[in-house]
Amino acid sequence: MSSFEKVGDGFSLDLTLDEANILVNLVEQLLELLGEGDFFHHYDSSDPLAQLLAMPSEIVTPDDPVLLRLLPNAYADPEAASDFRRYTEPQLRGAKQKNLRLVREELTILVDENHGGVIEELNSDVWLKALNDLRIALSVRLEIDETSFDKFEMLPDEDPQKPVYAVYFWLGWLQENLLGLLL
Amino acid sequence: MSKTLTKDEVNISELLDRPWITIVWDDPVNLMTYVTHVFIKLFGFSKERAHELMMQVHDEGRAVVSSGTREEMERDVQRLHEHGLWATLQRDDKI
Repeated sequence: MSSFEKVGDGFSLDLTLDEANILVNLVEQLLELLGEGDFFHHYDSSDPLAQLLAMPSEIVTPDDPVLLRLLPNAYADPEAASDFRRYTEPQLRGAKQKNLRLVREELTILVDENHGGVIEELNSDVWLKALNDLRIALSVRLEIDETSFDKFEMLPDEDPQKPVYAVYFWLGWLQENLLGLLL
Repeated sequence: MSKTLTKDEVNISELLDRPWITIVWDDPVNLMTYVTHVFIKLFGFSKERAHELMMQVHDEGRAVVSSGTREEMERDVQRLHEHGLWATLQRDDKI
């Protein structure tokens, strides 16, 4: 089973090819949902001028429940929430995309060479946040609650949702593994 | 003769200059160790204090993690959202 390891001051992650494929697939799906290829694609989004010009005039509360959970309302009051969103959502979205892109870059090396292996000197902060966002995204689709682990164990192997649950709990295990090295 | 002010004219919050607070809400996804880690990282809490606040979120469904000006709380909420925690800000209700 894959795991993070502490190497000197840094961290590494040993993955099989299957695991790297699953992760890169999820990362790309989430990047797509967050709108990669949209208005952040063709320039450096950290450039303040680009951000200013690219800021869309109508940023609205997302309809998709995954996006709403990843980019939540900051206020209970809808008007205050939507004002805040207008000014801050591009930055929040960009921060999440940046983490996912970095993780994708590291995974792509393994996937392109078509074998498992070790990702060396990875950024633990980036990986923690990316793994967390992937878990959040899956949890919304799977409607995860406190009873979900029992439900997963009771599902018959042929249930199409079973592998998705398995990936969700595996990501939690991976994240816990990395946290154990940090705390 | 003095006139009684209507409710809308008396903004107690502003009179008392009450601070704004950042609240973190419980969710079934974020790992307890992750929430503790984020509290230490973002707010500089001791391990014990971070753990205590995390348990409060877990047991009571919410915890106040910071208080200050509206701008400061907006920044805290944004940073918590960057880490995937479910956070909101509001004016402090307590008198």
